[in-house]
Amino acid sequence: MAATMVSGTEQYNFEIVKKFSIMAVVWGLVGMSVGVYIASELAWPIMNMDIPYITFGRLRPVHTSAVIFGFGGSALFATSYYIVQRTCQARLISDGMAIFTFWGWQAAIALGGISYMLGYTQSREYAEMEWPIDILIEVVWVTYLALFVGTVMRRKQPHIYVANWFFLSFILATALLHTFNNLAVPISLFSMKSYSLFSGTQDAMTQWWYGHNAVGFFLTAAFLGMMYYFVPKQAGRPIFSYRLSIVHFWALSFLYMWVGAHHLHWTALPDWTSTLAATFSIMLLLPSWGGMINGIMTLSGAWDKLRTDPIMRFLIVALSFYGMSTFEGPLMALKDVNALSHYTDWTVGHVHSGALGWVAMVSFGSLYHMIPKLWNTKIWSQKLIEIHFWFATIGVLLYITAMWISGITQGLMWRAFDQFGNLQYSFVESVAAMHPFYAMRAIGGMFFVTGMSMMFINVMMTIRQGKREAAKLHAASHGKMADMASA
Amino acid sequence: MSQDNKQTQGPQTTGHAWDGDLQEYNNPVPNWWLYAFYISVASAVIYWFMYPAWPIGGSYTKGFDTITYVNDKGITKTTHWNTRALLMAETNEAVAAQKPYYTKVASLPFEQITKDPELNSFVVSAGKQLFSDNCAPCHQQGGAGKIGFAPNLTDDDWLYGGDFTHIQQTITGGRHGYMPPFADVLTDVQVSQLADYVLSLSKIAVNPASAQAGDALFHSETAACYYCHGADAKGRQIIGSANLTDKIWLWANVPGSDTIAGKEDAVKNVIRTGLNKGVMPTWQDRLSADQIKLLTVYVHELGGGK
Repeated sequence: MAATMVSGTEQYNFEIVKKFSIMAVVWGLVGMSVGVYIASELAWPIMNMDIPYITFGRLRPVHTSAVIFGFGGSALFATSYYIVQRTCQARLISDGMAIFTFWGWQAAIALGGISYMLGYTQSREYAEMEWPIDILIEVVWVTYLALFVGTVMRRKQPHIYVANWFFLSFILATALLHTFNNLAVPISLFSMKSYSLFSGTQDAMTQWWYGHNAVGFFLTAAFLGMMYYFVPKQAGRPIFSYRLSIVHFWALSFLYMWVGAHHLHWTALPDWTSTLAATFSIMLLLPSWGGMINGIMTLSGAWDKLRTDPIMRFLIVALSFYGMSTFEGPLMALKDVNALSHYTDWTVGHVHSGALGWVAMVSFGSLYHMIPKLWNTKIWSQKLIEIHFWFATIGVLLYITAMWISGITQGLMWRAFDQFGNLQYSFVESVAAMHPFYAMRAIGGMFFVTGMSMMFINVMMTIRQGKREAAKLHAASHGKMADMASA
Repeated sequence: MSQDNKQTQGPQTTGHAWDGDLQEYNNPVPNWWLYAFYISVASAVIYWFMYPAWPIGGSYTKGFDTITYVNDKGITKTTHWNTRALLMAETNEAVAAQKPYYTKVASLPFEQITKDPELNSFVVSAGKQLFSDNCAPCHQQGGAGKIGFAPNLTDDDWLYGGDFTHIQQTITGGRHGYMPPFADVLTDVQVSQLADYVLSLSKIAVNPASAQAGDALFHSETAACYYCHGADAKGRQIIGSANLTDKIWLWANVPGSDTIAGKEDAVKNVIRTGLNKGVMPTWQDRLSADQIKLLTVYVHELGGGK
């Protein structure tokens, strides 16, 4: 085993992993800052400043795309390239293809952000990018698929590690989702504007089949892949159960595809579609929890690490939030709960308990583990990781508590009737009631972004330190050779 | 390695290893997990038997649960559970509960509606919703209006009349206020004089000589303000021209300025450019006659009416 621990740089393509890691941190800082800004716009609308480019409607997709695809996507590219190479003991099959996925992906996010601010959107949630950018993403994604599969096929071990199953299922499903959800007809070759190939209920159905599976495969399966490598690595212990990982992998992959319609309860959607989505959501609960159990139980017997190791703490708290939001999800997918929760801030809180609590936290832990190894050094400040952890945790808790209260308040106000059967509150009264919670949510976001800035500093300083050490080593070895030559 | 130790006592690993030290225990799936999963599947199956669930060709399984409701023609129907029937059942129930009140609102004269305490409570309850959904975007929540945008409905000033009949007429057919621009007709000095006269009517301390000249101009054929605003400057409700003597301002933001010069500018602006934005849409195609009648009573009560 020890023989396989050859120092990375020649054996593996870590350049690409480094690039994506840095961009994950950069997009994280940008996307979360935009998030805090738009949260503040909701609490204090004067911040719109009557400038159309920065109004909530245009900045909101900038925020979601920058955090999901910029931060989350870059973190997934980085970790999947790192993990697939190390667990297959094979270099990525092509450096050219790898670098193409990097620049293509970064360009898509940057172009998407600019086009949203200029007012271009397909009006499909989490797929707002117009058709030229969609085509760019399609090409990048197929390249990614070929690169990943090619590398897995070159593996030096007969068994494919569990993390790679999850990554492969994520890449395949995302290719499928992206393609079908973005089928659209441009109004002309030189226009950004296009119209969806589907109409009415079918269009909504396609959008949420995409939307929920983006959550399922992009934000869940892929990050479980990340978890399956970094949790056992950081804990220094084997995965709790191989059998559980098989069962929950296939159950998760099979069940997720059915549940998108729970975003459309009580609409023009046929009742049977609604029922199937609700019931499959319920059946999805335990398969989702399989990943949490496997991750947390891996630590069983080494719980003391939670006290001493902030990276471990990020990973385990991430799994806890994952367990909580995958419990909340099926609950909200029930028609009766949904009648209260839909269209309210509860949904926004639910998304963020998954996005901040699970996706961001597991990425933070993984990046903190991986980045020092990539630059062959130690983390610049262990203390700063510790502080980041607390800022992130307080931020998430403030955020989701605010949205729970405001969401349930909204839901109850909208459905309150007086003794005559008339609505008790007007819509604008419910908006006024939200204000304190919007302010609280913005403050929660500020905590989270402050933590993210600490990470940015810590990562940049770690890289500097790594480069300096490498240069010193280089100089030393050169000096040695010069000595030998003169002798 | 430490794993060797554990392998002899604890669970076995699968025997695979990746990237140096990555291994997996071959623990069985926890029983509680397995049973909880079976229960979730079983509850899904029960749900499928109860409600519409699986598509078959052009149709779908209807489920055993039923729903009974009275349709809009008053016929009681029982059908398999579905959201459309549920909506109809709940809506018709609410409509039926409100019907006696609406019948009374429709049949009684205005004065009697306000005298019946229970009916009046209903008007306030339903009126608040109708007002919030339809009127508040312009007249603001509570009806206090906004200077330069929409009239205040809670004061004693009614451009088109504040009795029941006129309010009903206003809501039904909408209104369009118009004042011609005078920039091309009058000199700057004349416009200032008129503004001073108009402000003096509200007891604002302006230059008396200028106000006097404005008075003459107001009643002359040159400016001819009195055609619409009346010789007493109290406006004429038949055409919606403003009462200029009541210290209530809608278009010229006189209260918004602390200086006399600022107040003059506000009035001068209106005289120069005229007004063509006092448009209230018609509601007869959006609200029923009963709803308009109810809203009339509600709006009348906001400011005490006339």
